Amino acid sequence: MTELLLAVILVVAVLAMRAGDLLTSVILVGVMSLVSCLLFLHLAAPDVALTEAAVGTGVGSVVLIWIVFKTQRRVDRGSDR
Amino acid sequence: MRKTDILDVVARKLSPYMFLFGLYLVSFGDTSPGGGFQGGVVIASGIILLAMARGTGAAEALFPASRLTVLEVVGYVVFLAAGIVGVILGVGFLGDWFARGASVAARAATVGDTATATAAAAASAHRFVFLLNLIIGVKVAAGVSLICLTLFRET
Repeated sequence: MTELLLAVILVVAVLAMRAGDLLTSVILVGVMSLVSCLLFLHLAAPDVALTEAAVGTGVGSVVLIWIVFKTQRRVDRGSDR
Repeated sequence: MRKTDILDVVARKLSPYMFLFGLYLVSFGDTSPGGGFQGGVVIASGIILLAMARGTGAAEALFPASRLTVLEVVGYVVFLAAGIVGVILGVGFLGDWFARGASVAARAATVGDTATATAAAAASAHRFVFLLNLIIGVKVAAGVSLICLTLFRET
């Protein structure tokens, strides 16, 4: 179960890095935070899981969404890649 | 940001329950999962939800930024004072200085009743942790919501 949750976190993190739409990236980071909250709950640390759910999924996502709306939504695929 | 009716209705219905859950986390933090920081962040995210759905003006009408600043600073000072009172009374920084529980524990210890002494000390410690959770909850809720309100207003 722990390995499964870790694998899901890894997959979602890679998807968040590769998404072209930054809003999608922010939502995927929120999903990653939610899965890691489940991981902490499975590892018998409900206090850490509550903190992760409140800070990572709640406040962090809100701040990141606000930043995306105030800057730009698309990723510039520059020539340096 | 464009606002929809769904966000408006959900935020108005949901944020009171977020405040209630945050207060539950703060007040039962000493016996169950939760605590001052988690409950404070949940209360702050309720305020942030109001600010995103109704605009920062509506959120600041309920929670003025000047009052949040005062709460944040007073919470810090009161928390430090709660720690230093323990130093003055000789139980160490952030030690449990609730006098009634301590005196009951001392009296029971002189009689030799260790079970009563332990129970009285544990009950006193629970009350002290509840007080600390309350202070931290107020401070964190004011601080985090103030950060986000300032960020949203100035951009």
